[in-house]
This record gives sequence, C-alpha cells and structure tokens, in this order.
Amino acid sequence: MPLRAARVGRVGVIGHPVAKTAVVAKAVTPGPAPVAKTAVVAAAVTPGRRRRRI
Amino acid sequence: MTEASLDQLGPVDYAVVEFPAGKSNFTGEMVSELLALVDAGTIRVIDILLLTKDADGEVEAMELSDVGELGELQALEAQLAELLAEEDVVHLAAAMEPGSTAGVLIWENLWAARFASAARRSGGQLIANGRIPIQAIIASIEADEALATEGV
Repeated sequence: MPLRAARVGRVGVIGHPVAKTAVVAKAVTPGPAPVAKTAVVAAAVTPGRRRRRI
Repeated sequence: MTEASLDQLGPVDYAVVEFPAGKSNFTGEMVSELLALVDAGTIRVIDILLLTKDADGEVEAMELSDVGELGELQALEAQLAELLAEEDVVHLAAAMEPGSTAGVLIWENLWAARFASAARRSGGQLIANGRIPIQAIIASIEADEALATEGV
C-alpha cells in the first residue's frame, strides 16, 4: 500500500474491523428513493406525531 | 492541539463509500456536494483515502494526492491531516467486497462543535451517541401499526 510514511506503524483510530452496512449501501444506490415508505418515515420524525409507551 | 482547541473540536465521523466493480459513475457531483458542506462551515474534512480490493481480497490504498487531476479538491487536499493509520486501512477495508473500490472520508462535524463545547462547560459528558437506520424507524412504525390493528 503506497501510503505516506506518517501513516505506517501508528496506532489506528478505528480500532476493529468494520462490518458492511447494508443501509448505507442502499442509500447511495442511484435510482428511486431507497425507502418505499419515505413519507411515513418523514411523518415519524415530525415533532409530536407519535406517542411513547414507556 | 492545545487544550482550548481540543475543547472546541466537534465530533469526528467516518464513512466508507463502496463502488462495486463497474458501478462507478463519477460526474463530479460528490465533490461538489462535499465542497458545499465545507464552504458552508458544516464540516471540516480531516482525511481522505481511496481503497481498492482485488478479487483475491488484496487491498491497496491511495492518497488523494496520488490522484492525477484533483481539480476543485486541490485546496481541500492541502489541508488534510493524516489521521488514519495503515492499521485503519485494514479495518476499513474489511467492509469492502472483492473487486470494489471505496472512498474513505473522515470529517469533523463543525456544526456540532459549539453545542458540544457548551454541554461540556455545563458539566455534561457524552455517554452515548449513534445513528438510527431508517430501516429501524420503519420497523418501529410497522410494529406500532400492528399493535394498533390488534387493538393492544
């Protein structure tokens, strides 16, 4: 790997092997909106819409 | 970094964007959107690396400066900090499919820095943070709907 010398031999900041995130992969796929229920999700994050059960 | 500037540092995030073999379509749109975020003071780009993973799983990393024509990214490249270590490349590449290429972006959320600073000055300390996938929100809505249908 032709990385700069400053990157070699240092302790990293990520710390562990990263697992693939399917959500992100879908979000960057070109074409129609990745989520069929976009409007429903938008409503879910609108203030005051949902009731909490605790 | 001094103690004062460390206190003003915003949360630092990373993203790995994978381009499966034959699927990339670079039009400059990503660069424009990234630079817009930088210009707006929303984020500060800390590091960028380009990774390739061959069919055998062998990973190669490339510095942004090794890309031939940087265009609008030239100014940004000059301000990058080399935060990622070789060890990080191995960890990040674990998420990649063989035959793919990926861009790794590390950024500081400048928009959150002042709030985080204020929280610390108020005696608060961050004990948890994270991202909620849209799929989880959908699952929650569907569970609610199912409960309503059942009359619970």
